[in-house]
Amino acid sequence: MPAATSAIANIVIGGIFHAAVLFLVAAGLQLVFGVQKIVNLACGSFYALGAYFGITLVNFGLGAGLPDWMLLPLLLIAGLLMAIIGPPIERLLRTVYDRDESFQLLLTFALVLMFQDVFRLVWGANPRSLDNVHLVYGKWTVGDFSVPVYNLLVIGAALLAAFLIGLFLSRTNFGRQLRATAENRAMAEALGVNVRAVYAAVFTLGTLLGTLGGALVVPTAAASLDMAVEFVIEAFAVVVIGGLGSMPGALAGAGLVGLIRASALVVYPEFEILAIYLIVIGVLLLRPSGLFGKPAA
Amino acid sequence: MKQGYALFLVAIAAGALALVPVLAPPFYANLLVPFYGYAIALLGFNLLFGYAGLLSFGHALFLGLGAYTAAVLAGLWGVKEFEVVLLAAALAGLILALPLGWLAVRYRGIFFGMLTLAFGMLAHAVLFKFYHLTGGDSGMRVPRMHLLGLEFAAYNKFELLAGPFYYYCLILCGLAAFLMWRIVHSPFGLHLRSLRDNAQKAAYLGVHVHQFRLAAFAISGIYGAVGGTILGFRTGLADPELVYWTHSGHLVFMTVLGGFSSFLGPVIGALALTLLQDQLQSLTQYWRLVLGAILALVVIFLPRGLAGLAVDLGLFFGRRSAPSAASTTETA
Amino acid sequence: MSPQAPTAAPPRPPLGVSSPLIETVGVGKTYGGFRALEDVSIAVRAGEFVSIVGPNGAGKTTLVNLLTGLLVPSKGAVYFKGRNIAGAGPVTLATQGMARTFQLVQIFPELTVAETIAAAVVTRQGKRWRLLLPLVQDGEIATRVAAIAGMFGLASRLATLSRLLSQGEKKLLDVASAFALDPQVILLDEPTSGVSTAEKHAVMTTLVGAARAAGVQAIILVEHDMDLVAAYSHRIIALSEGRVLADLPPDEFFADPVIIETVVGKRRGVSC
Repeated sequence: MPAATSAIANIVIGGIFHAAVLFLVAAGLQLVFGVQKIVNLACGSFYALGAYFGITLVNFGLGAGLPDWMLLPLLLIAGLLMAIIGPPIERLLRTVYDRDESFQLLLTFALVLMFQDVFRLVWGANPRSLDNVHLVYGKWTVGDFSVPVYNLLVIGAALLAAFLIGLFLSRTNFGRQLRATAENRAMAEALGVNVRAVYAAVFTLGTLLGTLGGALVVPTAAASLDMAVEFVIEAFAVVVIGGLGSMPGALAGAGLVGLIRASALVVYPEFEILAIYLIVIGVLLLRPSGLFGKPAA
Repeated sequence: MKQGYALFLVAIAAGALALVPVLAPPFYANLLVPFYGYAIALLGFNLLFGYAGLLSFGHALFLGLGAYTAAVLAGLWGVKEFEVVLLAAALAGLILALPLGWLAVRYRGIFFGMLTLAFGMLAHAVLFKFYHLTGGDSGMRVPRMHLLGLEFAAYNKFELLAGPFYYYCLILCGLAAFLMWRIVHSPFGLHLRSLRDNAQKAAYLGVHVHQFRLAAFAISGIYGAVGGTILGFRTGLADPELVYWTHSGHLVFMTVLGGFSSFLGPVIGALALTLLQDQLQSLTQYWRLVLGAILALVVIFLPRGLAGLAVDLGLFFGRRSAPSAASTTETA
Repeated sequence: MSPQAPTAAPPRPPLGVSSPLIETVGVGKTYGGFRALEDVSIAVRAGEFVSIVGPNGAGKTTLVNLLTGLLVPSKGAVYFKGRNIAGAGPVTLATQGMARTFQLVQIFPELTVAETIAAAVVTRQGKRWRLLLPLVQDGEIATRVAAIAGMFGLASRLATLSRLLSQGEKKLLDVASAFALDPQVILLDEPTSGVSTAEKHAVMTTLVGAARAAGVQAIILVEHDMDLVAAYSHRIIALSEGRVLADLPPDEFFADPVIIETVVGKRRGVSC
């Protein structure tokens, strides 16, 4: 493969990998917003929680003599386990469901503050990382171009998650109840949907997507105290671009943001975050419902 | 009579604040200087949030603008007079708020919040990335300036902050509060509150919904920039952290902590958070955990903030100490 | 909601002594392919009480929104005091002398009764950009607010928050604030909806009395209740399927069985 092509391939694969993780977290944000109408600033903290706990579990597992290939399963388990914080946090948020959205936003902001110190308390102030363990699955090499197979596995996992969420929402009974609640809460309640159960399930699923995203990213990037506040803002850009509450929007938005980030980093680093926010503002002004959202009446 | 009582309390509070540099160790006067910066910014912020019903999640942008204006004027261009910097910051706040507000006030609720958040993050990216202009994440220096033409050469920076600058800020904050008091109680303020409650009905009563929201946005931008100059003067630095979204979150935090439905609520919130944060930081490195828990408790149990709590307590004790007054109002 | 240029507005009718306060000339309105109104020409002159009736879906709401400058007609033009008001919007009209009330009661929950009325008085007295003059120091506003509140029996409730009022008081406040604009024309959109049948006449009497006292020159009433329409109107305009079916004085209107069948019969069919 010629050098220029492989450089482009690197950008594209790097962008898609970032997009895959972004999609997971943004999908959680979308689910919670779509059904509960809450913008959950703490979703970045769930992501960080998954990352930190992923490191701990992998270190523990591999230290206890598990084979190296158990990396991915261990990370998936870490993400799944950390979703247990979903229900108690949903219970906390229940106290402000009937209030103005500013109160809901602030309560999730309080969670962001608290989580940051919980991470500091448990994992310390210095960034933590897993050294190169992600190369355990080898590299896929074509000429000059090579990519860790782990990254491809994560991309595959995100696509699988997107597919399963779509299937769940459109085919299962619970998914239909969920969409009905998102559409019209009062009507769904009148039709016998247990809205309380739907909210608890949706929030837990949203949490799970966040912790899973964090756990999967951690072999390739360090976990740090700042990652929560930095990532939530990127996930926010994704959902705005894609359209608040829209799942296809999350997928498209994540792809767009991931690719812009990767290419700007190579081409013109000053422009990286700038480009994303210019697009966010452009979308909000020209099409506030996002690329895939339903236009507001 | 109720208003007279409130005025009495405010006079006592102002008197107590004026005595801080005299009676307390200079550490406390120095600690309270940023409180005045936040108080001024929040008076403006709450015109937008409490009175016009628009929650900005990017308002720290204007604090940063004020600090960077000071850095450019005093640091790069050698302007010595703090008053010139204040005026320039106010003007810069107005100039930036008009186009941003023009774009943002077409939306309400969560879309307004997201758009302002995006503006703030865009500003952060610019300040952070264009380091040859802005110094990147190390920011720009804000040198000390003259106050009312006086250099105070005999004072070192700490003494200047704990003495003359403290009183300067106290008076500036008092002026800003007085002006804002007039604004929210003016016909303009009434129209703002009416469009917050019901924009459609307000329009049919002749309220210029968009123009008034824009005016509130512009005034809050001016207040934010003025508050930002105080923060910059105190730390001697303007850095991108000032406009980061978590800083905007802290502005909302203070406002809700104090209570956005009272005029002085945000000021009380700024004071409470400044003192609380200082105490917590000296007690534990995990102060964010405690602060977050307090914010959560306030959001859940005290939706009207500390100011609301004070009013309720006042009513409670007022009723207990004067049962006859209560019964007369009931029979009346 | 951005105003579009009205397509080929007909020439402005000359403004004479008996010229109408408000007038539509050949107005049509289509939404997508749906024709909500077609070739509607009506006029309301000073001193008149005109009712607009018609079955649901006849185009009453569209006509109200055109008359209040909220919508731009697809065809024709709407004139208020001789000026084309296509898409002028509620603020301009409120300033120029047209007020409306809403079918569903509209209040400012966190404003007191006095403040609600004062919001309109501020508009009327052109004081909306006074940024620094406290409201309470303006005797001119306070006097007017007290007068309006008195007219609607709200004088004792001036310091009460609107959300704490009874349903009937909220309705009165909604109307009182519209009257506080000193309008020349007032459009009452089903003012007695949600009011018990027994009280409807009392409410209407209060409204009409207040309108006379406030110097309102013309009243447009949108109403389902034919008893009220018959009791107060000088003229009744019946809409049916987007067209003017009749524009007659009450005695002639109620003498025509075909019109009654269309307006009342269909309504019965829909609402029962």
